[in-house]
Amino acid sequence: MDPLDLARAQFATTTSFHFLFVLLTLGLVTLVAVMQTGFTLTGTPVLRRMTRFWGRIYVVNYALGIATGIVMEFQFGLNWSGLSTYAGDVFGAPLAIETLVAFFLESTFLGLWIFGWDRLGRWAHLALIWAVTVTAYASAFWVMVANGFLQHPVGYREQGGVLRLTDLGALVANPTVTAAFVHVVAAALTVGGVFVVGVSAHHFIRRTAEVDFFRRSLRIGVVTTAIATPFLVAAGVAQFKVIKTYQPDKLSVMGGLGAPLSSMMLIGVALVLASWVTLPLLARDAVVRMRFPLHLMVLGIPLPFVASIGGWVVREVGRQPWLVYGLMTTEDAVSPVGATGMLVSFLAFTGVFAVLGVADWVLVSRIARRGPEPESAPQPVSALATAL
Amino acid sequence: MESFWIVLLGLLAAGYFALAGFDYGTALLFRFVGRDERERGRALGAMTPFVLGDEVWLVAAVGVLFGAFPRLEGELLSGHHGAFVTIVTGLVAFTAAVQLRGAAPVWDVPLVGGALAVAVGWGVLAADVTGAPAPLWIVGVVGLFSLHGGTFLAWRLPGRAGVRARALARSLVLPCLLFVPAAVLLAGPVARPEVGVGVAVAVVVLLLGAWVTSGRVAFCCTAIACALPVPAVFAAQDVVTAETMAGTGTLAVLVPAAVVVLPLVLLFQWATWWMVRVRHA
Repeated sequence: MDPLDLARAQFATTTSFHFLFVLLTLGLVTLVAVMQTGFTLTGTPVLRRMTRFWGRIYVVNYALGIATGIVMEFQFGLNWSGLSTYAGDVFGAPLAIETLVAFFLESTFLGLWIFGWDRLGRWAHLALIWAVTVTAYASAFWVMVANGFLQHPVGYREQGGVLRLTDLGALVANPTVTAAFVHVVAAALTVGGVFVVGVSAHHFIRRTAEVDFFRRSLRIGVVTTAIATPFLVAAGVAQFKVIKTYQPDKLSVMGGLGAPLSSMMLIGVALVLASWVTLPLLARDAVVRMRFPLHLMVLGIPLPFVASIGGWVVREVGRQPWLVYGLMTTEDAVSPVGATGMLVSFLAFTGVFAVLGVADWVLVSRIARRGPEPESAPQPVSALATAL
Repeated sequence: MESFWIVLLGLLAAGYFALAGFDYGTALLFRFVGRDERERGRALGAMTPFVLGDEVWLVAAVGVLFGAFPRLEGELLSGHHGAFVTIVTGLVAFTAAVQLRGAAPVWDVPLVGGALAVAVGWGVLAADVTGAPAPLWIVGVVGLFSLHGGTFLAWRLPGRAGVRARALARSLVLPCLLFVPAAVLLAGPVARPEVGVGVAVAVVVLLLGAWVTSGRVAFCCTAIACALPVPAVFAAQDVVTAETMAGTGTLAVLVPAAVVVLPLVLLFQWATWWMVRVRHA
């Protein structure tokens, strides 16, 4: 493989891994914020325990996901220096805003949320989780703005062989951003909803004694999925029109992307149907008493993850051979780094990402299987807080 | 306007080394500071509340580098591919292992190894930029991070573990003192040697300060001693210049983001320190 192929393989691998973490993080933090809001308003103890249980899973996933985000951030300069040189003024601006406004602030808020358990007032602690949620979505938004520029460059002028930013508003209002961002947000909520439903179903299969705890969790998950999936599908379909207008070549490339595209659409529609069929069955726990849907719910956990990888493959591979659509090819952007250097970094990053993926899976599934802690012996919300 | 971004980049980088430096140093030293599992757990636990907040200073610095100095970012990272791949790989291993350490002691391997890789990577980078021998800088950065971790643990840990950390830290001061003049003398041609010499003198004074003081003051001395060298190397070599900066359109957009975010981060990170402040002192 030459350096270009290696750099592309590396980008595809690291982005896919990163996005899996991002989706679960975004989806779960929203549900955790909703649960904590419920507790803060009503004082119902079970809602507090739910916030803590799902919050622990969220924090593990976030802290490991942050490591994948760091790799993403460095990767542009490491392997795609041509992009920074030519389009860095425009592409770098939303990414810099993302790291400052979102990443930097989000981690700071989250750190305080973790260590603020039982130390801060109820309302201050609630405000923190919402601050984390808002900055998390802001992060996703600015990344989509940066990506949207690669799909359909706007808001720039060329000057002396480099692009200069002229209009941030145009960058933000880019038609390739709007529908895609709604799509990503709905995907994240779907991942979060399906995950919470699946884990709750697992506990019902095991005939958990925590009936109230998992009934409420299951309901929140099903309702979230039922609300999110129609938007998910609609925002997915809406992108075809945008692509037809701004990236006509992509449609022909998509012919070759049949498998990821159709599996994504199939999963999307299936989840709409499944969640809406389940809604009426929530009454008097019919869905729990029927039992067989519980097994389907557990099996469904990976589905939205699979679909989301399909979505990125379509969006990113469909852009080829362009890196910045119509302006710069992927080939011209790759760094002048030898094949050996590129191979070493590919293996190193893929290796640590594989470890991260396995570690996340092991930790999350262990917390999820163990179920909520007894009220008498609360565990710290994060392994980072063991000493407290 | 131009100097604002250069100063901001320098501050974020310095903040990263001052804060994350003791994270890596703690990881390098905790197995020596703690004699049994309980002590080791406490030593690591003193550091873990800050890990997330500390590491993101680097994320913010690279964000500013990308947004405000796009041409430098591409050139720097791709030009020092090996050093940065080492840093990032180590960072990922370290960040994951900090989370997972409670699960099994086998995670000590990526924890210590990751911290070591990060220090080695920064050492290689600084050596590349100044033209000094890489082993010198590798030993120097590992030594400075370890010393910083030592003063942190000496300040935060009660009892015998704290005393051991203090002894370890003191034993590291002399090697660090030897490293600083060596790094200046063995450097290749440098654009602004006076910067290098000035910072070297400051670091020597800080190291002596860490030797004679203890607790929070010693920690502050090693924090600044950790923060200065790598940014100073870039300043001495005049790497961050106005020519590599983004156009005024980009910078105007980024100013409000930086002006709003920085005070907030400082305030909230200070709140984290305040919440987990030392109570045994």
